[in-house]
Amino acid sequence: MGSSSRLASGGRINRDRPLRFRFNGKDYQGFEGDTLASALLANGVRVTARSFKYHRPRGIVGHGPEEPATLVELEGEDASGNRPATTVVLCEGLRAHSVNCWPSPDFDLGGISQLFARFIPAGFYYKTFKWPGWHLFEPSIRKAAGLAAAPATPPASGHFEARHAHADVLVAGAGPAGLKAALEAGRAGKRVFLADEGTEAGGSLLNRALTISARPAMDWVAEAVAELHGMKNVTHLQNATVWAYREHNLLIVNERSPEQDNILERSWRVRAGEVVIATGATERAMVFSGNDRPGVMLAASVQAYVNRWGVAPGKRVALFTNNNSAYAVAADLAAAGVIVTAILDSRKNVPPEALELVPDLPVHTATVAAGIFGHKRVRAVLAAPVSGGTPKWIRCDVLAHSGGWNPTVHLWSQSRSSLRYDEGIAAFLPDRAAQTCRAVGAAAGDLTLDRIVDGGADLPYAIEPLWRVDVPVQRGRAFLDIQNDVSVSDAQLALREGYSNVEHVKRYTTGGMGIDQGKTGNINIIGTVAMQQGVPLPQVGTTTFRAPYTPVSFGAIGGLREDSVLFPYRHTPVTQWNKDNGAVMYEAGARWRRPGYFPNPGENLQEAVNRECRAVREGVGVYDGSPLGTFELKGRDVPKFLDFIYSNVMSSLQPGDGRYGLMLSDDGLILDDGVAFRLDDHRWMISTSTGHADAVNQHMEKLLQTEFPGWQVMITTVTSQWNNATICGPRAREVMQALGTDIDLSPQAFPFMSLRDGTVAGFPARVVRVSFTGELSYEVNVAPRNMAALWDKVMEAGAPFGILPVGSESSHVLRVEKGFLSLGHEVDGTVDAYDLGMGWAMSKKKPDYLGKRSVMLRRAGGATRRELVGILPKDPDQQIPEGAPLTPGGHKQATEGLVTACVWSVVNRRWVGLALLENGQARHGETAHVRLRDAVIPVTVTEPVFHDPDGTRLRS
Amino acid sequence: MSYDVTFQRRGLDALFDLKGRAGAIRGWAGDTLPQLPDRPNTRSSGGEVEVYYVGCDHWLARAPLDQEEMLEAQLQPATCPVEISIVRVSDTLSFFRVTGPDAPEVMAIACPLDLHEAAFAVDAVTYTEMFGLKALVLRCTGGFEFAVEQSFGDMVEDYLTRATV
Amino acid sequence: MLLIPCPLCGKRSESEFIHGGPVGADRPDPNAVSDAEWVDYLTVAPNPLGPVQEKWWHARGCGEWLTIWRDTRTHDIVEAPDGIK
Repeated sequence: MGSSSRLASGGRINRDRPLRFRFNGKDYQGFEGDTLASALLANGVRVTARSFKYHRPRGIVGHGPEEPATLVELEGEDASGNRPATTVVLCEGLRAHSVNCWPSPDFDLGGISQLFARFIPAGFYYKTFKWPGWHLFEPSIRKAAGLAAAPATPPASGHFEARHAHADVLVAGAGPAGLKAALEAGRAGKRVFLADEGTEAGGSLLNRALTISARPAMDWVAEAVAELHGMKNVTHLQNATVWAYREHNLLIVNERSPEQDNILERSWRVRAGEVVIATGATERAMVFSGNDRPGVMLAASVQAYVNRWGVAPGKRVALFTNNNSAYAVAADLAAAGVIVTAILDSRKNVPPEALELVPDLPVHTATVAAGIFGHKRVRAVLAAPVSGGTPKWIRCDVLAHSGGWNPTVHLWSQSRSSLRYDEGIAAFLPDRAAQTCRAVGAAAGDLTLDRIVDGGADLPYAIEPLWRVDVPVQRGRAFLDIQNDVSVSDAQLALREGYSNVEHVKRYTTGGMGIDQGKTGNINIIGTVAMQQGVPLPQVGTTTFRAPYTPVSFGAIGGLREDSVLFPYRHTPVTQWNKDNGAVMYEAGARWRRPGYFPNPGENLQEAVNRECRAVREGVGVYDGSPLGTFELKGRDVPKFLDFIYSNVMSSLQPGDGRYGLMLSDDGLILDDGVAFRLDDHRWMISTSTGHADAVNQHMEKLLQTEFPGWQVMITTVTSQWNNATICGPRAREVMQALGTDIDLSPQAFPFMSLRDGTVAGFPARVVRVSFTGELSYEVNVAPRNMAALWDKVMEAGAPFGILPVGSESSHVLRVEKGFLSLGHEVDGTVDAYDLGMGWAMSKKKPDYLGKRSVMLRRAGGATRRELVGILPKDPDQQIPEGAPLTPGGHKQATEGLVTACVWSVVNRRWVGLALLENGQARHGETAHVRLRDAVIPVTVTEPVFHDPDGTRLRS
Repeated sequence: MSYDVTFQRRGLDALFDLKGRAGAIRGWAGDTLPQLPDRPNTRSSGGEVEVYYVGCDHWLARAPLDQEEMLEAQLQPATCPVEISIVRVSDTLSFFRVTGPDAPEVMAIACPLDLHEAAFAVDAVTYTEMFGLKALVLRCTGGFEFAVEQSFGDMVEDYLTRATV
Repeated sequence: MLLIPCPLCGKRSESEFIHGGPVGADRPDPNAVSDAEWVDYLTVAPNPLGPVQEKWWHARGCGEWLTIWRDTRTHDIVEAPDGIK
């Protein structure tokens, strides 16, 4: 093959920097400045891909993100899939292969499916694989029709980043119009964010041989870029695609080669005052038989390869057009020494200024391409007169076609701004802006340089649209969407079957989907629908443009969020001690990492938990209760407020005293349970469950700010001002005495559900007598700065009493033995206080509080309720999975409840459980049945308390 | 090349949460606190004590830790009038400093707020978001200072380390 | 990601806020309404195609509960319709 297609000179490549690369297992050489596509063309590689559905051989079609055919998977450290070869920047040692063929695109075994092509019409999958379910077939179909797989391992070095940015003006696109807009805004002192998807600025000027004020247009580009780089208020990024335009002028940019070499890609979230859309225009394909054969390329792409990369994609090029732009292509080809064998123009009358560009070339007017001879490469094109005369074959090895130009309105449309169809350029144009944005340059329909930059010289644009070639001599498939193998007949079939809306045609045929999102072909689908339905094209309308404009790696979207910071986590000052002492740590609500249990060497979970529980029941234990939500409330109306948000009465509390209570939402559901303490006349402290601290805070602030703004209640979150070590067990008082405190610990002076300020072990402390274990407990609250030291002192003072640290697994066992609630276990969206046997918490005295009316209303219906009960498996050694259903008699019937918790009770030496059971409170002593998939477990229904039912111990 | 930046996790400062009408707080605090800032999301200072206006009828007073007991004694949280609330919250926040030429870039990884000097002046202080968490953000010499809920301190340190490797 | 105007802080990123639902009817005296009226109060929320008044909590900012009018078709934050404050 060799570098036979590289021109002797020209192009924006560095011929002093050769680069070796490997494609589909063969070694090639390109130059710095090449893309993979330009380097492959330079090496004469024509078949570069196989198509998605039919495995037809395909070549390179475009030169940028519009490329529909050649998708590659990169190998090695920067492995990634489904990359258009036209956007892969060549680098030394690059390795890539085509995504949809095996073993190679030249000899593809999957190509055998071409023989069955007529069996895969539009909607084939919907029709064929609908019984018993698509999911049965999906994996094997995906494999057969597959695109690249996700890389199996993360990149070996570097990381992704996501960053916020703010700009007065964001300019998308650094072609002539974008550069001009950026210069104007930059000179006015505005903060400018200019992002362009290409490797260098210039846009279409990179690909064309144009002049501005009689100098090469790229000189103007270089000066503009230099001026922008001199402005501190301008951020200019290349290799950075603006891929999403979201609400309120938020745009997302994917920067693929940040300056920092340890950052793989960066995602920018830019909030802009004004957005300038200078995204240029995309050439559209012609639709004719054989338009997918390798060597059938977009005309402007052929021009780009010649001018920008110094590559002649063919030796003998024919062109097929319906507009003027292909004439400039032909002129550039001729100037580069390429033989132009014919220009087929579907128009009867070609503007003279176009013809003047190509005085010596054979132009066939009113003539279309009706077929391609050649399978793996173009050998000739069938030129057919529109009027029906005799067609003839014209030799060529590349057919360059241009169906006209579409302003690249993706971002414009993503912003919800409207489009209008313009007859003059036969394309959809930006119309009314929905956000603060404007389109400029080719994106606004100004398709020639003279309309964008003063002094710019360009061939005037003119077009007569041709949505598809429709002459009788045409044979074989004409593709509307090359990537998804959607042909004209597929669209016609969809219409015949009643999918008349263009959005439905898209889904049914898959036309316009995939990696390229139909950048070159969508308009032809719309045109085909219009022709078929006999309506004007604007009436068909466009499909919705959605982000992303081009594919984006998930890594860039996620940014830094991976590994340890994938989810937030919270520590207490005891976290390190826990880790040092062998705790098994995991998240236990509200992002807190907590110790689950503290196994001794060789001990399993159950053994460790039993040991910790025995310590609490028989001696003393201590746990870190710091994560409990804690709030200080101040103000004249706090008592009224607490009476409103708790179902029981709090206002009657005296300073130093506290009460357990339930918080309901107004629809009668249990929002949280916790305790409230009165500190003095106007100051209160409440604590919530760990998992609901934020929800309760939101609930309280919402009520106070939106419903009762007149109430004087000020709330301060003090969860992290008070950490606590909760010392619990029959010997807790002795440990407190050993720690040393100025608080009188006698049960008379300091009874259950009261609070005392003082010092403990020399630290200022607030000690609270609450109990979540059912044992005598002192919750010793200190400032976090003292917490680690307090913890050490507790362990030291408790050592003679055999104190053990207690993890959340044991806390669970201890609360189940006592029948204490856990939100999310016993309390879900169906139960109320009465079901839980806590009717006492529903105040009869208060005429109104949150949830009261709703609970009463629900209960007034008299429907059967599921009520909290204890369950004892008949076999004491029988464990029951939490969540297991209870059914009447254990039969295969609708459930009558579920097991909410089941633990090994160290005090009862058996498994005990809690359950919600229909009419459970009236069924104590009866037998109920847990029904599992392979077993029925009989259980005795009991009171939901298995230890110290009178609460003597916790009050002691 | 990484970012030209250093970050530092700070020790405790004395912090008091103040709620209520400005007049009532001024009336109670007297000369203990500097003049309260009159624009939201700005700060004032007097001596070693700073006051941040962080919310509707909501201020934070900040001073070196060695002033904590003195401030507590003068502000008397337990006995202040019913129409104001004063709560010691020194331990509730973990403070970080990000300084150096690239400090704005590193802050922009974490924070959606525009911290350009045109939008975030020298005396600005505000609650916003850092690494998805509620955070207090302000400028300091050579960069920025921010604080998150204390229990998230280790995570934020983790994040900053990742951002600046 | 909306840009939500906070009366105290100015325009801030939506990520600083928690959505608090549409502004519905005022809470009636639960002892003075029928069952049906109470259920309506709890369950019937405005859900128009067009401007809707919503509560948002500036949870990661100043803590203010605020209301905005948001057009559900466009996400535009709009002036209150005529006759409504």
